[in-house]
Amino acid sequence: MYTIELAQVRKSYGDFIAVNDLSFNIEQGSVFGLLGPNGAGKTSTIRMMIGITAPDSGEVRVFGRPFERKCLENVGYLPEERGLYKKMKMLDQLVFLGELHGMTAPAARQQSIEWCERLEISEKLASKVEELSKGMQQKIQFIAALLHDPDFIIMDEPFAGLDPVNSDLLKNVLLDLKKKGKTILFSTHRMDQVEKLCESICLINRGTSVLQGNLKQVKAQYGKNTVQIQYEGNGNFLQNNPLVQSFRDYGNHVDVQLAKDADPQQLLRAAMEHSRVYKFELMEPPLEQIFIDVVGKTDA
Amino acid sequence: MRNIFLIAKREYLERVRTKSFIVMTFLIPALMLGVTVLPTYLMTHGSSEAKHITVVASDKKTADLIQQELSKAREEEKQPAAESPDGLDRPQSANLSVDVDLDTSDKEHATLVEKVQQKQLDGVVFATKEALAARKVAFVTRDVSSFIGNAQVKAGINRAVHLDLLKSKGLSEEEINNALQSVDLETQSPSGAVNPMRMFFTAFTMVMVLYMVVLLYGINVMRAILDEKTSRIMEVMLSIARAKEMMAGKILGVGSVALTQILIWTVVAGVLSSTALIAGAGMLKGILSPTLLIYFAVYFLLGFALYSTMYAAVGAMVNSEQEAQQLQFLVMMPMILSIVLMGSILQAPGSSIAVWASLFPFTSPLIMLVRVAVQPPPAWQIEVSIGLMVATIYGMVLLCSRIYRVGILMYGKKPTLPEIMKWIRYA
Repeated sequence: MYTIELAQVRKSYGDFIAVNDLSFNIEQGSVFGLLGPNGAGKTSTIRMMIGITAPDSGEVRVFGRPFERKCLENVGYLPEERGLYKKMKMLDQLVFLGELHGMTAPAARQQSIEWCERLEISEKLASKVEELSKGMQQKIQFIAALLHDPDFIIMDEPFAGLDPVNSDLLKNVLLDLKKKGKTILFSTHRMDQVEKLCESICLINRGTSVLQGNLKQVKAQYGKNTVQIQYEGNGNFLQNNPLVQSFRDYGNHVDVQLAKDADPQQLLRAAMEHSRVYKFELMEPPLEQIFIDVVGKTDA
Repeated sequence: MRNIFLIAKREYLERVRTKSFIVMTFLIPALMLGVTVLPTYLMTHGSSEAKHITVVASDKKTADLIQQELSKAREEEKQPAAESPDGLDRPQSANLSVDVDLDTSDKEHATLVEKVQQKQLDGVVFATKEALAARKVAFVTRDVSSFIGNAQVKAGINRAVHLDLLKSKGLSEEEINNALQSVDLETQSPSGAVNPMRMFFTAFTMVMVLYMVVLLYGINVMRAILDEKTSRIMEVMLSIARAKEMMAGKILGVGSVALTQILIWTVVAGVLSSTALIAGAGMLKGILSPTLLIYFAVYFLLGFALYSTMYAAVGAMVNSEQEAQQLQFLVMMPMILSIVLMGSILQAPGSSIAVWASLFPFTSPLIMLVRVAVQPPPAWQIEVSIGLMVATIYGMVLLCSRIYRVGILMYGKKPTLPEIMKWIRYA
């Protein structure tokens, strides 16, 4: 059973093709990552799932049926472009959005209060939105997307601009929702979050899918050809080394992608000759590496 | 429908609760008084202090006569002004104290002019024999633009000349007074006696209120949409409600606020006029004729629907208020044109330009209201104007909702006309 089914969906604005015959399915109860560089067509794709725009061709099915507006009452959307009525009191705003999602006013009010308590902002219920900090506004927006207890939740960059404590708070809320069987779509280019939360992904670039499937399987495809090294001393051994296809220096550690058929033991030996090695780990490539590789290849 | 209602309700409550609503409720009537009643009031009441004038004449008899007529003018006018039936004060004449000077030399002329310059005198009338014969009398004054005061001096001199002439023909004072008695013109429309002054004020006030409220709240619709666009709540709203519902909700919500405000004004005006708490209450009574109020409501609603729809499209097209300026002006044009035409239509309510302007949907709300207030046009014309407006509103809603739907998601540069045409065609 799929919550979302996209079949050969195409959307163009004038001569520009934003989404080019894109197909993917999101399984019910899963956390799905819609990834891609800026301008890849993520937002355009999401907009077609919730009827803000209609596809030029192809089909969008929501909850197993062709898209109809009625199903929107069961969808929660946190857009990347955050926005709230600035002059409106926080509680009034949440109740208004809840009512639009088909809730009764008292139910919306009660749910809002409960959510605000859970996200630790209940003392600001009577404040106007413009008086709140950016992080608090984020939380209100987050609540607004979840207030009506939707079965399908779309989160476009949900943690952008949040401190680690608050990101963690929201992440736990999302994991809870997943346990309750809700389907969550994540749209982001923060790969570390995707790796932590998502089960399957679809990576799109220039409106087409370039990589999709179960996250574990995707990573396995690339094999254990990456070495993470933490060392102190001269890093010259990485330069012009036939064992190294490429490497990324993160300051505290280096991710090295090995050349085809290279022996990691030889690299360890070279590293030990030139520096003190604190950590040497053979692992699957981080999603970020895959992202950069795939996007780089399709752009070329 | 539920969404439209919810959006309208939010818009209404948020607006009525603001301070600016309360301020506007007081400010607009104050402004209305400012542009209509106050200038006339000041003009008629401003110059009541005594003015000192010298009459230069060749002989004592003429000088005395002019002096007498100039001083008398004020006394005579006082009576009717007080019991003016319409409650509107006539232009009031100044209290003149008049001196006589029989020295017609050029030197005295210069001295007197100098005195006026030095503010020792308010005016000098040079009614020499030659001047009177030529019927061309010079009046030197600093207040050259005070046409009421000047008219008063002119009337006084005229009367003095006539009296002098008629007396020399041997007529008695009574005969002369009888001959000089002017005729009062009582204006009546076929439906009965009317007061042209009151009618003018009724039409003028209603049209100005309609104009201000339609523009003010039309612009409010535009701002509300612009606000949603810039605060980026649009995307959240669009994930729940249709663009059409959002536009309709906005227009209904803001329109209800405008109606609330008008209702407050009407009730307050009604209370004030029935208790005569304020000056000019008689004038308000004229404004509050029930038929006119119904027409006002009809044309207000139609006008607001038409203009706010266009303003909604403007709000959706642009990204900031600055960008909106030009387009806003385009939308306002027909309204401004109506105000410009109003003067000539008050003069000739049945002229062909009046008929056409009152049928043309964009000028119809104001112009037809003027015509209804001044000289009720044939029923078919009112029906046609309402029909045309409803049709235009329908067309505009279709057109503007298409612009709106695409425009609200467009950020960045201002769209060009060809782009907007593309939006309209876009399915």
